[in-house]
Amino acid sequence: MRSITASRAVAGPRRSWRVRYRDFGNWVYLVPALFFFLLYMAYPIVRVIWISFTDYQYLRDVPANFIGLQNFSKALADPVFRTGLLRAATFTAIFLPGVIFIPLFVAVLVDRVKNPRLSTIYRLILLIPAVIPGAMIFVLWRWLYDFEIGPINVILVNYLHLFNFRNAPQWIGASPLALPAVAFVEIWWGLGYHTMFFLAGLAAIPRELFEAARVDGANEWQTFWHVTIPRLRPILLILVVLRFGTAMAVIDDFLIMGGLNRAMPTYTWTVYMWHLAFQIGSWPQGYAAAIGWIGAAVMLIVVAGLFWVFRNRD
Amino acid sequence: MAESSVLPATASAALGVPPATRRRPVRFSTIAQHATIIFFCLVILIPIAWVLLLSVKSLRDAYTGALWPEQFDFTHYAYVFEHMPQALRNFANSIIVTLSTVIITSTIAILAGYALVHLRTPGRALVVSVLVATLFFPTRLVSLIGIFQIQNSLHLINTLPGLILPYVTLNLALSILVMRGIFEQISAEMVDAAKIDGANSWRILLEILLPLAANGLVVLVIVNFVTAWGEYLLAVTLTNDQSMRTFPVVLVTTFGGFGEWAFPRVAAMYIMAITPGIITFAIAQRWYMKGLMEGALKI
Repeated sequence: MRSITASRAVAGPRRSWRVRYRDFGNWVYLVPALFFFLLYMAYPIVRVIWISFTDYQYLRDVPANFIGLQNFSKALADPVFRTGLLRAATFTAIFLPGVIFIPLFVAVLVDRVKNPRLSTIYRLILLIPAVIPGAMIFVLWRWLYDFEIGPINVILVNYLHLFNFRNAPQWIGASPLALPAVAFVEIWWGLGYHTMFFLAGLAAIPRELFEAARVDGANEWQTFWHVTIPRLRPILLILVVLRFGTAMAVIDDFLIMGGLNRAMPTYTWTVYMWHLAFQIGSWPQGYAAAIGWIGAAVMLIVVAGLFWVFRNRD
Repeated sequence: MAESSVLPATASAALGVPPATRRRPVRFSTIAQHATIIFFCLVILIPIAWVLLLSVKSLRDAYTGALWPEQFDFTHYAYVFEHMPQALRNFANSIIVTLSTVIITSTIAILAGYALVHLRTPGRALVVSVLVATLFFPTRLVSLIGIFQIQNSLHLINTLPGLILPYVTLNLALSILVMRGIFEQISAEMVDAAKIDGANSWRILLEILLPLAANGLVVLVIVNFVTAWGEYLLAVTLTNDQSMRTFPVVLVTTFGGFGEWAFPRVAAMYIMAITPGIITFAIAQRWYMKGLMEGALKI
């Protein structure tokens, strides 16, 4: 974990103040980044903190009043919000193992392909979804999952005759299958990209370690468990933490494949926040901001916990 | 252990590769390995193949329950170009927004990555920490309401700049960190040597570092292209005028249509929307793979 924050030590043990002062001139190169960072990331976030303490409603022509923590206490008691958090947690629990272990499995297999041309072809095919943008992926799968004309149900009903159109599975929408179905789409989308992560990690393992393990009489499984996994540990940990964050905050998938119906399992806290801020009533954005912040805080606490659990004990 | 570690990694890896002339009997585990990989490849390819097939089905076949059409119809693409100016307009919006975002973000990331690695910039450890921290925080979601209010007060709702400006920040932190990873692979001695030769910092960046970072730049462009080309949440929040919307938003809102928006035509538009990315990727894949392995993945 340390490697991601460690920056190179500043060269030169002693430098005069004048030289150091001149070094501030190098900030010229960071100014454009700073402009966008402050205007479209830092400031909106601070602004959202501020309005979460007010009763601001976008479509109401009355100045907003400071109401303290009322939005927060209201949100914590709001059953829609609580259910939404639980749904996001359920989604994360389904998605996270799949997006870590399936690419790991595929990477181990692809890493052993000896033929370089074949290896490249496999990698290219697996990476195709990584160059299709998110919204396109979700539109595609909304068609595939469609109850009547979606090819999945067409195959199940017309070709395999496992179901008829009365009892065919409802994949998305108000269906218990919706969260697993969306999780599958996310895993499908990320398969190639995460496989590349693991392949880069596998390529960095010195081959002698495998040779040595083989000489010592270790079987495939033991080699994987005692050589590969410890070496991949840093990558695994970063991916678990990053993808946990992504999964809890998923919204595009749910908006596109689900919708704004509270009965759907895909109506999570993120969808609720968006629905409140831009659709419901007079757009109570103060309340929506509080919901966004509580959700983000819950995520941050878990992320901090994950970092603590995975901390480097060496 | 001591004996085997004498062998260079490449040599011991090479030992496992049989020369083409000497054929060993193929083992069952090898067949199972390839079969499994091919299975995953098919899971990836079949859904895309299905849309491609749908885009060339005749209108009648698209609504029957048959997977393979009785009659092909290749005119849907031409139909989109000739009869759906609105869709083309949305397509153009997407191109403008995406190109601007990719160019601005990449330029900013190159400059910042340079300052963070090869220049003595005070406070760079802090900058890197802040950038990494934003990766673990749902910035897009939390800042969304704020961004809407800013764009609203700047009268940028329903405009393309109104989309481009926040789009730049979507991948900014990641892009800067990727460029930092790439620049760190280039030795400081090379930069120092150029400095001694009297090159100023701009020339060092343009003439020495950028050519060496080409693979990483390909990764940067592709990652930013994918994000901007298919962004949905900001686009649907910051635009409500159909003519200012980007292509993905239009595709999402026109599901299961009949008439002009018939299914095969929407599928044709879909193929038009994903093809630029796939073609770019196919052309640039060699550099993309190298860039990924060189350090773009080492956040």
